[in-house]
Amino acid sequence: MLTTIALGSLKQRKSSVLLTLLSIVLSVSLLLTVETVRHQVKSSFASTVSGVDIIVGAPSGDINLLLSSVFRIGSPTKAISYSNIEMLIEHQAVDWVIPLSLGDTHNGFRVVGTNNAYFKHFMYGNKTALEITQGNAFTSPLSAVLGADVAASLNYTLGDTLVLAHGLGNVSFKQHARHPFLVSGILAKTGTPVDKAIYVTLEGLDAAHDTPATAIARIGKPKTSTPHSTTHEIHHATPHSHADNPQHEQEFRDNSDSYKDDYTPKVVSVAMLGLKNRVAALQLQYQLNQNKTEPLSAILPGVVLSQLWNIMGNIEGLLLGISMLIVVASLFGLTTMLLASMRERRQEMAILRTIGASPSTLLFLIQLEALLVSLAGCVISVVVVATLLFTTSEWIGNHYGLYLSGNIFNVESTIIVTAVLTATLIIACFPAISAYRQGLHSGLNQT
Amino acid sequence: MSSATLSSTSAIEISNLKFTYPLSSATLCLPKWSINKGEHVFLSGPSGSGKSTLLNLLCGTLSPTSGNIQLLGRPFSSLSGSKRDKFRAMHIGVVFQQFNLIPYLTVSQNIQAAVYFASSNKQNRQHKMHSRLSFLLNALQLPEDIASHRADSLSVGQQQRVAIARALINEPEILIVDEPTSALDTDSRDKFMQLLKQVSADSTLLFVSHDPSLQQYFDIHTTMDAIRLGEQAPC
Repeated sequence: MLTTIALGSLKQRKSSVLLTLLSIVLSVSLLLTVETVRHQVKSSFASTVSGVDIIVGAPSGDINLLLSSVFRIGSPTKAISYSNIEMLIEHQAVDWVIPLSLGDTHNGFRVVGTNNAYFKHFMYGNKTALEITQGNAFTSPLSAVLGADVAASLNYTLGDTLVLAHGLGNVSFKQHARHPFLVSGILAKTGTPVDKAIYVTLEGLDAAHDTPATAIARIGKPKTSTPHSTTHEIHHATPHSHADNPQHEQEFRDNSDSYKDDYTPKVVSVAMLGLKNRVAALQLQYQLNQNKTEPLSAILPGVVLSQLWNIMGNIEGLLLGISMLIVVASLFGLTTMLLASMRERRQEMAILRTIGASPSTLLFLIQLEALLVSLAGCVISVVVVATLLFTTSEWIGNHYGLYLSGNIFNVESTIIVTAVLTATLIIACFPAISAYRQGLHSGLNQT
Repeated sequence: MSSATLSSTSAIEISNLKFTYPLSSATLCLPKWSINKGEHVFLSGPSGSGKSTLLNLLCGTLSPTSGNIQLLGRPFSSLSGSKRDKFRAMHIGVVFQQFNLIPYLTVSQNIQAAVYFASSNKQNRQHKMHSRLSFLLNALQLPEDIASHRADSLSVGQQQRVAIARALINEPEILIVDEPTSALDTDSRDKFMQLLKQVSADSTLLFVSHDPSLQQYFDIHTTMDAIRLGEQAPC
């Protein structure tokens, strides 16, 4: 009955209640968004890489090295000589090495030059290995393996060819049309930046960047006859499938295999290392940072991630603080609305008192009204934020490298909603006590 | 009506009652007064004579500064606030001068609210609504479909009758009515008074008005002055 009375009373003051509700929805949505994004970015970052003990690259700042190599955020660091990779492969403390070459794109997706060690050793989440759902890892120097989102977005299947573009922009004026890559495999979805990248061989990537002149200087002859080369280049300027043309497919493979010997990579962007014993990580990091032949920067991903959170901590705190203050302000708006209505509700209070409602019941009624508005605000906010994140998560992932999901039902959002409702009860004490006092002295002819 | 002898058959008994509003020097003093069970009493008095204050004291929405009020043999003024509220909900029906109903609730919800505060048992409440609502609406010559109408969509006369239905839904022993006809024309007033007398036949009725022409409907009538000037005034 009290809920009926509370709802009826709120409906009676539709305009002011709707405006108050709107302010609560906006403020709680803001707080939920800040907290959800913070929480999801942290867990997304933490689950993106697993089992990598050291990342080595050119000196450019620890955080930049981590962001560009693991999360594909920002510009890649300066390249380091491939001889360093060879040195690391030979190092007694190193179990495996994944070289990565970054900087190209295909239709807005980042291209990563690497070798089959990536598919064998790279892990995400709780030490989950990558899984190739279709096809194989690199089978030839011009093989390409697609992340799950790339394959789904661009509708690529095994046997399709693709041409890389130079640089990181969505639009590039320089395409490596002379060296098309053949899709040899598609990775299973991981929910990390792995899904949004195209993986090609280091040799293929190196060849793609070669000019015809330097290519001739390196390998002494063009890979195909000139007439074919010209038509081939035109042919491969747009992605297409070889699946229905076995002869062309074989020609592509033969042509591609010769790249392996001619294009040994000279530089890479970074290398990810797995150690035989993690205890040696600090020692090896120190050793690499002191490298005499070429300046190197070795980072421990977990440590750098902690540094990143430390830096972000203050900003996070500030954002959360501001969001909380906005929520409190909107709750005070709710209280003001209820308090302002108390005078016009004297008659209603008097009627309720004379039919048996106690002053405490009136206090509870006002609290209930505040709680209903606040609860409606929280529910609408949760729906709004979940919808917003669900619909924009792909765009955010593509533009900012942040992988968010529309699932905001976690401990943090529950705490926020509970805190907002508790704050409502506390702040609504002002009008509730006013109603209680009014109830003590209201009666006949008090209307 | 007013009697010097307080008996166990009294519905309302007042002794040495004194009440002063906070921050006010005006004091209402009532030495002794009682109404027997089943009596229908007409109480009149000029504006400012303390009629409404007396009714609020009898309802328990105000507490006396000193003195006693006994209702149905219970020390009403000595009860705790919550017990007084419960007693009022269960045993006293009140009809206001005007603005009797909560405007945004339907007729049915307005009446249901009175049942809700009187009983904590859901089954009892449902039973009471089921058994009494139709009877009261019929008795008060209100169409049954009016139950789903919002209170603020009714005429003043209909609102007054719904207010009586709400006051009587819990079958109260005491019915307190405060100038309910002030907004009605003569015809409507007469019909209203006849209906009120008819439906409250089993209750003790205290009817307050400054309109002396309404005395004709009551066997017993008194004035505020008569009550004030009772024996051994406490002030």
